[in-house]
Amino acid sequence: MDMQRIKKNNKGSDGVRERFSPITIIMLIVLALYALSMIVLLGWALLTAFKEQSDFRVNIIGFPTKWVWNFSYVYKNFKVAVQTDTGQVMIGMGRMYVNSVLYALGCAFFNTLVPCITAYMCAKFPYKFSKAVHTTVIVTMIIPIVGALPMEITVARFLHLYDHIWGLWLMKANFLGMYFLVFYGVFKSLPDAYTEAAKIDGAGNLCILFRIVMPVVRNTFFTVMLINFITFWNDYQTPLIYLPSYPTVALGMYHMATTTINKLSYVPMRMAGAMELLIPIFILFLFTHKRLLGNLTVGGIKG
Amino acid sequence: MRTKNTQKPMMSGKRKDMIFYISMMAFPVAQFAVFYIVVNGGSFLLSFQNINILTDTTTWTFDSIARMAKMLVTDSGMLTVLKTSLVSYLLLLVIGTPLGLLFSYYIFKKLPLSGAFRVILFLPSIISAIVMVTIFQFFVERAMPEFVRVLFHKNIPGLMENTATRYGTVIFYNIWIGFGTGVLMYANGMSGISQEIIDSAHVDGVTGLREFWSITLPSIFPTISTFIITGVAGIFTSQLNLFSFYGGAAPENLQTFGYYLYMHTQAAASRAEYPDVAALGLLLSCVAIPLTLLVKWAMEKFGPSAD
Repeated sequence: MDMQRIKKNNKGSDGVRERFSPITIIMLIVLALYALSMIVLLGWALLTAFKEQSDFRVNIIGFPTKWVWNFSYVYKNFKVAVQTDTGQVMIGMGRMYVNSVLYALGCAFFNTLVPCITAYMCAKFPYKFSKAVHTTVIVTMIIPIVGALPMEITVARFLHLYDHIWGLWLMKANFLGMYFLVFYGVFKSLPDAYTEAAKIDGAGNLCILFRIVMPVVRNTFFTVMLINFITFWNDYQTPLIYLPSYPTVALGMYHMATTTINKLSYVPMRMAGAMELLIPIFILFLFTHKRLLGNLTVGGIKG
Repeated sequence: MRTKNTQKPMMSGKRKDMIFYISMMAFPVAQFAVFYIVVNGGSFLLSFQNINILTDTTTWTFDSIARMAKMLVTDSGMLTVLKTSLVSYLLLLVIGTPLGLLFSYYIFKKLPLSGAFRVILFLPSIISAIVMVTIFQFFVERAMPEFVRVLFHKNIPGLMENTATRYGTVIFYNIWIGFGTGVLMYANGMSGISQEIIDSAHVDGVTGLREFWSITLPSIFPTISTFIITGVAGIFTSQLNLFSFYGGAAPENLQTFGYYLYMHTQAAASRAEYPDVAALGLLLSCVAIPLTLLVKWAMEKFGPSAD
């Protein structure tokens, strides 16, 4: 009883001391400055996106003198030139959004499904091959191989996956990486009682996987898929190399950053373009940040 | 009366499991065989090839390897790339990791405004690199000098335009946006520490930094070592977001190996240029692999124990 009281008292006084210790205050100040820098930067970009170029020249950091809707101009006029067999085709922002959704959604789905299924097979079917796959994942995480991009392009061209969105879905459908370990941990901690009861009732392996196991891990699955979706939505370097005929919005933004087309090279137009790529993902983040911020952990790697 | 089906021996559970296992593993294994084994094996072979586009012939040679090895040790430009890659990696590791850990600890202890900081620290992770770089670049070039002029009545050049501040600005940017996933993983890892251990430490008068150093850090050391071990490859693959800043025209003194390899692959006029890139990659892998294994060994040997 006394011990409990001591603990309680200590916890209370420690808590207060900890909350207002000099180190806490320093960390609070550093974090507040960090948050402020992020807010100022994004706020400045948003305000600039509403300025006229003539206003921006003389009023770089203030509020817009006259609020201008640059977004529709960028949406209508920004195009990426694509070479096809029949000549040059101009791809607009609408088509870029479709390409982004197809690329990001497909790659995210397959890049989540394959590690999930492979991890399940390795965790629940204790064959020697499962151990070999688990070890392979760890070894490939530890051993860095540099400069394989030229060969990857060669293989993609050879298999006719190059310049096809579905081709990239296949290329990204691998089980390697940290998320295999995340799923493996989840499946290992899943009691066998779940699947054994279903087996007694006559359920087959496929039925158990999709009707019993997948619903249990759906939270982790959707969190990983969401992180992957954001990564692929924002990725412009892969489409720059592998999808010359299907520019995504992120790739469009890269081209816009280097464009010299008169009005589109103005800073307010570029900020409006940046916002058009940022806002959809920001809205997604607002609705899903709790899921994103709390579901994943990763332990050590031994191998 | 017996039906035909019941006369057939039922397939055993083990056999069914094996068929299911093979059918579910077939695609992942085939994908791995093509996009890991064939790609990396092919990349190894590519390093020893000479491709003639005009005659469409491939010959076997050590030319690319020899040329790249010589370049790595004698070419002043390549030595600068090596120096920049190493220094950048160390700066990001030495400054970024401790800051990330302290921020995670702050969030884990649920200190004032930790919920809001958690969201803001993760924000750069959801924003495209090309968007963040575009905004940041214009901010430090145009807005920052204007802020300084208004607040301190002093004229300064843009931070990216000024060659003296350019590298520091790029490093600052990479640290500034690099906390996201690390902070999340560390904070989530810290939440797994037993409350009883923390309470016992409090009874013994251990709080604040001492608690962080003696309890929190050893408890999440496996997570930290995972990030450090897998991050060693960053010396040779990190682009420092230079492609987003400069496209294919980054100043030579800022270039890292990651940028150099991507830029030369992306800008290759034909596949005849691939063997040199593959050869450089192979040479760098020969350094990266033992270095990573050495760091892993050191982490296990000298790292703190959770016990």
